[in-house]
Amino acid sequence: MTRADKILLAGLLLISLLSVAVLYGRFSIFPAKAEPVQAVITAQGKLVRKIYLTEGVNSSLVIQGRVGPATVEVDGTRIRMMGAPCTGQVCVKEGWIGRPGQTIVCMPGEILIRIEGAAPVDAVTR
Amino acid sequence: MRDRTRRLVFLALLVAMATALHVVEGMLPLPLPIPGAKLGLANIITLLAIYLYGFRDGLTVALMRVVLGSLISGMFLSPGFMLGLSGAACCTLVMALLLKYTNCFSMIGVSLAGAVGHNLGQLLAACLLLQSGAIIYYLPVLLIAGLPTGFITGFLLNSLLVHDRKSGILRDLVRT
Repeated sequence: MTRADKILLAGLLLISLLSVAVLYGRFSIFPAKAEPVQAVITAQGKLVRKIYLTEGVNSSLVIQGRVGPATVEVDGTRIRMMGAPCTGQVCVKEGWIGRPGQTIVCMPGEILIRIEGAAPVDAVTR
Repeated sequence: MRDRTRRLVFLALLVAMATALHVVEGMLPLPLPIPGAKLGLANIITLLAIYLYGFRDGLTVALMRVVLGSLISGMFLSPGFMLGLSGAACCTLVMALLLKYTNCFSMIGVSLAGAVGHNLGQLLAACLLLQSGAIIYYLPVLLIAGLPTGFITGFLLNSLLVHDRKSGILRDLVRT
């Protein structure tokens, strides 16, 4: 191992540590822009509400569907259909959703709750 | 004419050895869960080919190794194959430049630079494949994984060449 080798090794080590600091550090030159996750509620094809799903916000609201009012509950980063006037109750049994891409559909009431935002990766294969 | 045949045979042997190393290495489970990081033993043969015959033949050996290795392991034309191809080409280029235009580095230094070149080539191909620059965040991981493996392969080749300086086996094979 020559002197130049050692200098090269030290330089590369420095560069890789520096790149860790630059790319993963708190004061990153490329700040990660996280797309906010929001629940989009539509009833009978029309947009009713957009709710940002952020930690610590709890609320419930009533959506007027085709067969009557349905109750939607928001609990921080997740949302569910608490009560619906239909017979099947499929939307209520769907439970809580919160990941981008998930949906709750109420067919009789024509209500659609859809989570939008940057979808996280499910899995990585090689 | 005899020299050309000798060279052809020796290059074929190098390709065969590199392919064998590539495939066997792919069978080994990695202790680290880093996709894309490998020991890179086949790189020893690439560097040896550049050392003995120059850039063009080194590139031939490297690319042939990637193609043959991927055919054997069933990964031909997969994304991983593209990354390997681009990585091998970049790695060969970097190592050949260092071998030709500098003489202060031993094989360890050249191999280290080659490992970094390989990582950069891989990431470049990944950027093009994914059409996004976000994969650049993977660079530090690959760099840190690449330094010890580059060192190990360089060290192995160095030992081989030191041995050859005494015994002269490689020299005789190549130059008679």
